[in-house]
Amino acid sequence: MTNIMEIYQLLPKTNCKECGESTCMAFAVALLSGTRRFTECPPLVKEGKYIDSKQKLEKILKPIEGAEETGLIIHEELCSGCGNCVVACPVDVANDPHGSGRGTGPTNDKVIFKVVDGKVKAANVKECRRFGKDKILCRACIDPCPTEAIEFV
Amino acid sequence: MALDVSKFIKAPEYGITIVTYRDVFQSSVCDEDRNGKECERLSAVIVLDATEMKRMGIQDGVNVRLTSKCGSIVVRAVSSPREEQKGIGFMVNSPWSNALVYDETTDGIPEFKNIKVKIKVTNEEIMSHRELFPL
Amino acid sequence: MTEMVTWTCTGCALLCEDIQVSISDNRIEHVENACMKGKARVFGCKEQAVPTIHGDKADIDDVIKDAARILRDAKNPLLYGWSNSTNEAHIAGIELARTLGGIIDSTSSFCQGITVNEILSGSVPSCTLEEVREKADVIVFWGADPMSSHPRHMSKYSYFPRGELRQRGYEEDRTAISIDVWQSRTAKICKNGFHRIPPGKDAEFMRGLIEALSGRVPKLSFDYDVKRILELAATLKKAEFGVLFAGLGLIYSIKEDITLLSEFTAALNQFSHYSLIPMAGHFNMRGFNHTLHEKTGHIYRVKFVDGKAISGVEYSVIEQMKRNADAVLVVGSDPLASLPGSISKRLKDIPLILIDPCMNLTSRVADVTIPCSTSGIEAGGTAVRMDGKTMDIHALVQGNNMSDEKIIERIIEEVG
Repeated sequence: MTNIMEIYQLLPKTNCKECGESTCMAFAVALLSGTRRFTECPPLVKEGKYIDSKQKLEKILKPIEGAEETGLIIHEELCSGCGNCVVACPVDVANDPHGSGRGTGPTNDKVIFKVVDGKVKAANVKECRRFGKDKILCRACIDPCPTEAIEFV
Repeated sequence: MALDVSKFIKAPEYGITIVTYRDVFQSSVCDEDRNGKECERLSAVIVLDATEMKRMGIQDGVNVRLTSKCGSIVVRAVSSPREEQKGIGFMVNSPWSNALVYDETTDGIPEFKNIKVKIKVTNEEIMSHRELFPL
Repeated sequence: MTEMVTWTCTGCALLCEDIQVSISDNRIEHVENACMKGKARVFGCKEQAVPTIHGDKADIDDVIKDAARILRDAKNPLLYGWSNSTNEAHIAGIELARTLGGIIDSTSSFCQGITVNEILSGSVPSCTLEEVREKADVIVFWGADPMSSHPRHMSKYSYFPRGELRQRGYEEDRTAISIDVWQSRTAKICKNGFHRIPPGKDAEFMRGLIEALSGRVPKLSFDYDVKRILELAATLKKAEFGVLFAGLGLIYSIKEDITLLSEFTAALNQFSHYSLIPMAGHFNMRGFNHTLHEKTGHIYRVKFVDGKAISGVEYSVIEQMKRNADAVLVVGSDPLASLPGSISKRLKDIPLILIDPCMNLTSRVADVTIPCSTSGIEAGGTAVRMDGKTMDIHALVQGNNMSDEKIIERIIEEVG
């Protein structure tokens, strides 16, 4: 899993403020949360000496850019479509007790997880227990995953 | 010119037992394209315990020759992320593992999951489907 | 126009019946709820088979005639495969074997056949997957890794779903146990319920558990924490409804001692209610055993002599391909990929007919290839799920080829 120091180490670390943040560390935090893009750091884009760092950042930030608002990332290449997350997610059980909760495919559109073309897809992420002001660090979809295809950043 | 002595030294051989297993990613890829490169990449592999590999002088990712009493193949050796039992190698069930399986049985069921082999490091290339079964 | 169809998946022997497929102009667009194995099944193989004789393209009627000629000329024809075919194709196949006075066997011969035999003969109790979902509280995966072989096993039936008697969810209501030689993907989910044993020691561990069930401290020849085996026995005893999923890891290890399965389930049933389900792989492996059993009283390895069926290890695919068979008809299987290499080499030397929707490794050595439709995609019928329940399977789209059932019927006409 990507951590903040890993991102910070790849930034210019000059605190030039050109991006509008007060420090490179603040910019790193914004990158990790997905609110800013690394291309918004002018020196990184313009100066040739950062080319390696830029490529590395691009690689490690790619999944984060695809993350949902809750920080949910699905690594599709690791997903076998087993549906464990579909059935184990407490939101899915509550919103579709006779479908997802019973192990069959979802019977309505209120669920978070659904397997399409052999890979799990997320929707209704605002329903996730990690979202909103009463959020909790739920791991109900992560622990049952046999292939570590789900993570939160 | 420096002489590469390593090629004159016979690589040591070790006895191990291969246990085969199923993998959903490999089986899906091979079902779609049995003759494809990707099926070969995911199949021609043996997984070993990291300390065992060290003991046998096998580096992660190198090719090894596996020889049983009825067949011999070249596959890639990969270290397991976990600690495994000693003396065991794991291979996904495939034409490569089957090439090592002995066909003499008393009950019509060959030992697909209990294959005694000798393992040694090699410079040879991984065998393709076609090399496994030359016409 | 896109149409949504509910479909029963033939990707494996779970036969998931809740799959949604969108179809437009006889083309499959998307599939929902199916795992990646199911998806691979729905979208089919890359290289489709074509009718050939000795590698040259031929007319479908000619290949059928040539296949019939090869089988008619053989003294010891073997009809093999069948786990990717419907029960109806099995009936046709058995009829062809009878007509030829030949041998019929399936992949179950070196797979879960012996386990199915224990169940059909009444030695080992079994139950349905629905019962597992509604009632099971202790679930044992022995030498089985459904997360790698049957991806929806745990989510649809055996662990994660809320069942009638298991309303509070898996963490509180169910205990999953994995007994295996390594920490498989399934074992990882079982967490502390994982017991790692040395390869080949399954029978000894099972006997140890039988001892522990009756309160004795088992002695094992390998290093194993006695406390853990006693704890495991206590967990097994406490079950209200227990189920043992027997994988090939277990079955291959105890194959010479297969009656141990009935001893073990009987020992468990002194304290609780236990059933066993074999982890059949291909979608209709078990169907072949059931159909043949119904027709002949044997589940596999049958030879017809003057119309009468006899069964024995000498009629197993392994023994036949190694020695006696002088012509082989393969239906929906790839023996070159799945049998021991030495046998595969012999297949080059005997006349071989392959009925399959796809090109596979065996296609390279087949004298005659006959393309058929994919069962459960382009052709329907019935099939038997891993737990023995018969399911209807339906065609999704119209294909270009005849079904294997139809092809075999045509061969019977030609042979007749």
